[in-house]
Order: sequence, then C-alpha cells, then structure tokens
Amino acid sequence: MRFWLSLAISSAWSRRHALALVTLSVAVSVLILLSVQQLREDARRSFSNALSGVDLIVGPRGSATELMLYSVFQIGRPSRNMGHAGFEEIQAMPQVRWAVPIQLGDTYQGHPVLGTTPALFAHFQTQGQSLQWSQGRAFSDPQTQANAMFEVVLGAEVAQRFGHAVGDALVITHGAGGGPESTDHDEQPLKVVGILKPTGAPIDRSVLLNLEGFESMHQGWGLGISPKALKAANLGMASALAPHEPRQPDIQSLKPASLSAVWVGLHNRAEVFSVRRQIEALGRDPLMAVMPGVALDELWQVVKVVENSLVLVGALVAISAMMSVAAVLLVAMAGRRKELAILRAMGAAPHALLGFVLVESLLVCMLGILAGYLSSQVLLWSAQDLMRIHYGVMVQPGLPTLESLWRMLSLCGVAVLASLLPAWRAYRLSLMDGLHPPSI
Amino acid sequence: MHPALRLSQLTHAWPGQAPLIDIPQLTLQQGQHLFIQGPSGCGKSTLLSLLAGVQQVQNGTCEVLGHDLAKLSPSQRDRLRGEHMGVIFQQFNLLPFLDAQANALLPTRLFPSRYQAAAARWGSASAQAQNLATTLGLSASVWHQAVHQLSVGQQQRVAAVRALMGQPRLIIADEPTSALDDARQLEFIDLLLNTAAEQGASVVMVSHNARLAERFHQVHVWPGEQRA
Repeated sequence: MRFWLSLAISSAWSRRHALALVTLSVAVSVLILLSVQQLREDARRSFSNALSGVDLIVGPRGSATELMLYSVFQIGRPSRNMGHAGFEEIQAMPQVRWAVPIQLGDTYQGHPVLGTTPALFAHFQTQGQSLQWSQGRAFSDPQTQANAMFEVVLGAEVAQRFGHAVGDALVITHGAGGGPESTDHDEQPLKVVGILKPTGAPIDRSVLLNLEGFESMHQGWGLGISPKALKAANLGMASALAPHEPRQPDIQSLKPASLSAVWVGLHNRAEVFSVRRQIEALGRDPLMAVMPGVALDELWQVVKVVENSLVLVGALVAISAMMSVAAVLLVAMAGRRKELAILRAMGAAPHALLGFVLVESLLVCMLGILAGYLSSQVLLWSAQDLMRIHYGVMVQPGLPTLESLWRMLSLCGVAVLASLLPAWRAYRLSLMDGLHPPSI
Repeated sequence: MHPALRLSQLTHAWPGQAPLIDIPQLTLQQGQHLFIQGPSGCGKSTLLSLLAGVQQVQNGTCEVLGHDLAKLSPSQRDRLRGEHMGVIFQQFNLLPFLDAQANALLPTRLFPSRYQAAAARWGSASAQAQNLATTLGLSASVWHQAVHQLSVGQQQRVAAVRALMGQPRLIIADEPTSALDDARQLEFIDLLLNTAAEQGASVVMVSHNARLAERFHQVHVWPGEQRA
C-alpha cells in the first residue's frame, strides 16, 4: 500500500506540469460552479432582504404585491391611500416600537420622491444594514424645527446622476411629470441636506422629503394641476378647488390627510401575527398589513423566471465543468499508458493498478476543488461591496450549501469515471501490447 | 522438479490467418537456456507473450514452471509472471519517474515472495540489487540517476538486474541486445546467462542474430526443427 502510494506520487510528480493544468481546470470549473450557485442564492436572499428590520408594511386593503411594489421598490403607484388617522392609531399601539409613514406620488427627474419622517433614517435597513451618510445629515423634524420643512435627502444614485451635493436646490415634479410643464413644484425649491451612501436597495434612486414639506407643496392643488395654473386658466371651479395660495405653513395643520403606506417595527417580532390582525381590524378604513419577507418571497415567485434561468446556467456550467475535467483527465491518462503496461507486464494485479490510477485522479480532484472553493470565497469576498452597490446583491462568502457539495461530489465522481475508462483501456491494451508497451 | 517449459502441439494464429506459431514438441529443463532464432515478424514475440502469460493460449499445451497456462485466469497468469519470471523487454521499459535502483527493486516491492527470496540469500533486496549491478558491470554512480539519463547499455543492465531480482525461475528476454554492437552483445549475453545459471534460473531469449545461439543449451530455429 505504502509502495503504491509512493509510486503514484513519484509518477504524478514526473507529470506535475500536465497535472497542474488538470488541477487548474478543475479549480476553474469549481469556481464557476460555486459562484453561479452562490449568486443565485444570494440574489434571492438579497431580494427577500431588500427591506429588513421592518416587521409589517401597512397600506390600504388591496393587493399585497402592489403594496410591496410601490412602497419598497417604488414601482407603480398606489391606487388608493390610507388615512393619516390609521397611522396614528398604529403608532399608539403598545406592541409597536416605531412606525414610519410613506407618502408617494411626486418625482424628481423621474426619480420617486418619498415623503416620510426622520424616523426612517433610524429604522430603515437593507440587507441587515442601516443607512449610512456619504455627505451631510438627515433632515430635521419640522415639528420641532420649522425651517427643516423643505430639506431633502438624496439616494446615492440620484446624487451621482445629477451631480448634486449638500446645499444644492432642486425642484420636484407633481406626479410622474410628462404632462403640462406647469406641474413642477417650482414655487417651492428644496434644499439638499444629506446624501446617503449606496446600499443597492431602491432607496438609492429616491429623493426623501419631510412629510410636512411634501404636504405643504400640495396645498391648493386640485385635479393634479397647480394653483397657479388653475388661476391662469381662470376656471370656474378654480376657487372651489384651490382656495389657498401656498402660504407660510402652519406646522400643525400640515398633517397629511392620507398616506401611501406605513412601515412598522415591533418590540417583539413574535407578536407580528396578532398585531397584523389588530391592524386589519382597525375600524376606520380597511387596512392591510403585510410581512415584507413573506411578501417579497411571493414577489420573487413572480420573477422566478430569473432564478430559473440562473438554475439553467448553473446546470450548464456544471455539465461543461464535468466535461472539461473529463476531457483533461482523458488526455492526461494517455500519458500513463506506458507505465501501466510496464507494471502490468511486471505482474501487478488489476486492483492495484486501479488504485494506482484512482489515487492520482482523486488527489488532483480534491486539490482542484479546494483551490476552486478557496478562490470562489476570495472572489466573492473581494467583490462584496461592488456587488452590493452596483447590483443590489449581498453576497455572503461561507461554507458551500448542500447543493454545491453535491455538485462538487458529482464532479469528483465524473473525474474518477473519466480516469477509470482510460485506465481500464490501458489495462486491456497492455494485453495487445504484449511485451512491447508503447514507447510513448 | 518441473521442467521450465513444456510445450506440445502449441499453435497460435491471428483470426483468419495461417498459424503463426506451430510447435509440436518442446521441453526445457529447469536451469537450461533456450535460444529462439528467427527473422523479424515471424511470431517470436508472440511466442514470448504466450510463455509469459500475457496472451491467452489458443490451442495445445503450454506448461510454464509446471503450470498449464490455458487453465489459469489472466490475473493468475499475471501473478505467475510477476512472482516467478523476469522479463527483459526490447525497449527495456524502465519506469521513467524512478531512478535506476528503484526500477531494479520493483519486483521485490510488488511481490513479497521475491523480496524474501532476495533477503534470504543476500540479506536484503537492495543488497542483491547492488550485487547484481556489480556483476553486470553497472557503476555505482548511475545507481541513483534517473533512467533517462543512462546510456542504452546501462539501461539494459538495469533491466537485467530487475529481471533477476528475487530469484525468478524463468528469465524471458526479447531481443535484449538489438541496440548493442556485436562484441558487446556477446559480453552481455554471457553475463546474463552466467548470472541466471548461478541462481538456477532458465533463460528463454529470442533474437534474429544466429551468432548468439552457441551460448545456449537449446536452440529453436524458426520456422523449422529444434536442435540440441
């Protein structure tokens, strides 16, 4: 046994350059295999964690998917709003640790404007990480500091795209824009006080504004037309619909009548089901409370085709990895035909020759898998920030999953089979070679 | 004691061809040497493959060291060859990744019985290898060199040492001198035959060179009669 092992090692060492290539090819295959697999799982997990630390999302009763889409991804538009009173009731519930209102509807150059409170900056998490500042600070609460009303915070992508810095002024558009040009809220420019660091979450593309500021800009608006335009058009209904000029706002009166959604955090996550029931039973107007993780998982089913294509890519990668490993080993085995024939001629037993061949293939395979695994971890680890910021995918280097283990194991199995075939052939051929092993 | 070889009515043919080998009767006593002479391509090497148990006997009897090869399985024949025969190939067939000594020691590593035979008489396998190397004129300096660094003559001697290790009873040699000039051929044959005789082994050698025949006890000329 020791003899065969040392013979196998001397033999392998004499072909170390070729074997290094085989090992490299196994390593590259494993690297691709594991990376695709890991990306698939991380993409899914990142999607599910796009909004973390939020236990419930509350909105007007309707489609949970729609609520998720507009309140988390700012895709689409709420068809109905919920009353502000509902928010106050939720906030007053003893199990609720915090509640952040969300008001949507306006845009800045196509980017959604999110009306909210400073509490958002304390509680919002994506991929388990809190928001961080690249410049400036959060906007203040106008209830305590009146001049904070028109302060805005920009997501990283918005700031980068328009080259905004702290201190810049900007004008947002009523609705999605694209209508008459007079839908700009140009009577009230906003001042940038802070810019967030990139998170990879939809918040990067948002402009965040105080709820009070958001509300005050809409005072006097009717039918989606600015008070100025109403006046200019001198419509008969104008005075009825828009009784006020924008004026120095009275902070207390600026509580919005309605909200798009409310994000809720609980003291105790275990109470999420009972709180949900309570919220949905609140009498005033029909509300719906959604657990974001569950809803995101459901939403992921919608984009399942993305995951399926990754599964397909993963399977193709696995097949091509196995084939390339098999091919390289087949070629490498050709170089061993002579030594197998010699050993056979010296009377070596078939099972000894088999072991002699297998030791090498297994060793090469193990080394390749180890190298591939380590390099995949290094790669994922070093690309972590890049992936999170540019693609919103939070990669987590770690132990391979069961599925990856299976794939690596089957890669090993294929490698063993691929080396057995030529070994068996060499053994048979040594009969034909007779006492004249090929002089390769 | 069994004869080293006992062939009778041995024929062998490739499919659909006239018999390549047709030996009515041939017996070689243990310790005697047999020279098989014939032109290239006449089937000499095939005969050696049959004797060594590499190829299956088709027709007739082929007894080697008392074993009827037709009754042995391929792996039993492999074992018989490994334990009791030494083969010197035309191309020597040393393992390129081992040095001269490790190549020479291979049979004693593969088969404990050959190690014990060497150890019983010489104390250890490497002692016998050293002794054989000296006898065959291999200088100590080449002993730990990689085999591809050796000259053809040196490789041939390493192959001969390997074949003789652990007291095999039958040495089979296939044109082992074809790479040497005439004078050195005779010198090598003498060394080989004497060393084998000293160990009590029989040598069966094939060659097209009739001048080597005089050194052997028995000669089989191909095709044709056996003469003593």
